[in-house]
Amino acid sequence: MDSSNPTQTPGSGPSRGRGVPWGLAGAGLVAVLTAVGLVWRGGDDAQAPSATAAPVKASRSQGSHAGGGGTGAAPAGVEEAEAAERRFSDQTCFPELGRFNDGVTLETFREQAAPLLASKDALVRDYLKAKLAELIGDDAGKAGQVVDWARDAQGAEFQVLLSGLRASDAVQKPQVAARLLEAGMDAKLSIERRAGMLSALDTQKHLPPAAMDRMADFARDPASTEAGWAATRTLGRVMARESENHGDASPYLDRLITIATDAPDEQIRHLAQTAPLHNSPVLDAKATERFTRILQSEGNEDGRDAAAQVLAMSSDKEQVLKLFTDSFQREQSVCVRWALFRFSARVAGREALPVMANMATVDPRFQPLYRVFETLYAQGNVDFIRVWNELPDQNPFGCMDRHQ
Amino acid sequence: MPRFLQGLRAFGGLTLLLASQPAWSTSPAALPALRAESCSVRGLMDQLREGLRSNSKAYRDYLNAVLREAAVSLPSGELHAAFDRETDPAMVEQLAAALVARSEREAEKDAIQAVARRALEDRDPSVRAATVRAMRRTGALEKTGDMYERLMRDGSPEVRMEAAQNLIEDNQYVYSAHHGPATDLAVNAATASTDPKVTARILESLDTRKMGPEAGQKLLGMLGHESADVRRSAALALGSVPAAQMGPAREALVGMYRGERDAGVRKALVQGIAELGFADAVPELRKLRSVDPAMAPEIDAWIRALESGVQEWGLLLREKQRLQQVR
Repeated sequence: MDSSNPTQTPGSGPSRGRGVPWGLAGAGLVAVLTAVGLVWRGGDDAQAPSATAAPVKASRSQGSHAGGGGTGAAPAGVEEAEAAERRFSDQTCFPELGRFNDGVTLETFREQAAPLLASKDALVRDYLKAKLAELIGDDAGKAGQVVDWARDAQGAEFQVLLSGLRASDAVQKPQVAARLLEAGMDAKLSIERRAGMLSALDTQKHLPPAAMDRMADFARDPASTEAGWAATRTLGRVMARESENHGDASPYLDRLITIATDAPDEQIRHLAQTAPLHNSPVLDAKATERFTRILQSEGNEDGRDAAAQVLAMSSDKEQVLKLFTDSFQREQSVCVRWALFRFSARVAGREALPVMANMATVDPRFQPLYRVFETLYAQGNVDFIRVWNELPDQNPFGCMDRHQ
Repeated sequence: MPRFLQGLRAFGGLTLLLASQPAWSTSPAALPALRAESCSVRGLMDQLREGLRSNSKAYRDYLNAVLREAAVSLPSGELHAAFDRETDPAMVEQLAAALVARSEREAEKDAIQAVARRALEDRDPSVRAATVRAMRRTGALEKTGDMYERLMRDGSPEVRMEAAQNLIEDNQYVYSAHHGPATDLAVNAATASTDPKVTARILESLDTRKMGPEAGQKLLGMLGHESADVRRSAALALGSVPAAQMGPAREALVGMYRGERDAGVRKALVQGIAELGFADAVPELRKLRSVDPAMAPEIDAWIRALESGVQEWGLLLREKQRLQQVR
């Protein structure tokens, strides 16, 4: 669990929600998207794709940290090294890869990369993606060629082509982005392929309004399934990037709220509901009102939970505290109640304590939690994230485990 | 999953190691690049020596990754011998990283000691700097004793700055500021340094939320430093101290504001006061507003941001920037 984030991490893939509305397609989507390196948080190149990071973290968790510091001599290295050789299988080397690297051009890439890809070596595959991005450079013509190839390429090659395209400079050119969008909207292509095309747009610095509209309309189409999910995630990721660059997130937020409200698919709706958690936009009156409706009418409790967290960033704090108070009384789910309770503190910090005390009167299960918050604020904590991190139990009702 | 472990993702790719070996021998060697073999120290050294000069970043990154991945199963003796022999800083950095990877993955826990020794003792400052870089974003600071304090006294400014960079990035990316001993180690190194640039570099972005009281005292002491750059960075670092240290920190920053002449330090003092108090800092900031009219716009911007009621520091910083842009 990410201890600095007071909610479950959203959008790690449709398979983590309850049930998979489009049957096996969900699992396939995860495979496609993670392989293309497009997990939500991995959207920026600085971050390693989570698929490779996870096992490393796992191996470390029982490792050297627990013992703390110390430079004392460990037992002799030989036995240890031999044990290591038994534990780790060999990495393969390609001694002449340098010749491929020097000689390959965009024209010969597919032919020459094919046997390398067939080796199934993960590092070579990552290299091929990065190399393709270099070969494309900022040449829109070359990028267009790769889009054409991606229309019929299969398996690992498809992933390499789209990853290379996604990471290239040329993908930022309007005509290249437009071709990707067209391919993503092309009903002649399979849904999985369209999902890949739409995902490759997630490195865009901006999306034109017309593109946002098409993606949002598509995500609300019951037939869009995983491609609609990919379009939604792309909207969310580009919004987060715009925010980071101090751009205007509101056009993206507007479309995402529309998806969050209207998409017939619960998982797509949920992805849109959680998208603002990545950039925490300050909500104006209209966005506050639209998210209020989600909090009040969304049938999926994860969605109501996300809405509470997003609403905590509304510019109208009084209105939101009142909304949380009312919603708490009506709410049946203890998990959503827990969200309303803790995110009251995100709305107004110590000033929210009376509201939280009131909630603890309505539902006595919250009384010990109220005392914890009261103490933390009395100790001088001011930052909500730090208050959250000081909680002795961040998961008092088991809500974070409910999807496991 | 504790956040401080996440920096270890630098050594990604373990999934590969869990997979069984593909059947190479059955693939026809249609192209030279396809020839695959078990990695050897010598083969990798040759490939690296050639490849590190390549203008393809993709290829250089691949080679870095392969060496780190292969490191766990390369023969220890050969790898150490190659590291000891090597004098080209770029190659030393690669080999050092391979040894660090062996330590991190617990193939050879003490491999990092050879790297730490060289970082302290090699005669060539470029080599010392390179070995220091190889320990970046790893668990090195828990395994190397007083190495960082000693590196602060290195005769080469390049080495000192590389060591500072490790302390910054390890605290930020490996431990996410959630590991007090790592924070304390950075503070101790920063205060042990006699190079004000290095001290300031370490402190200016240090999140001290888990800092121990002893390191906290040292940090407060840095507010009296003769270098304005050091005073500025100490004021920023004091903004994020643990709740128990907030009171003295706030008093120190407020008390210092009137006597401080440097505009950059004053700006940092205001930011530190804002971070320690959020909305509660507003009355104090109002009082300080009249001390120096030139600071009034900056203080006003903070007051407006704090009055927005945003409850998270990162978002408050963003809010202040946004409000300043709008005006």
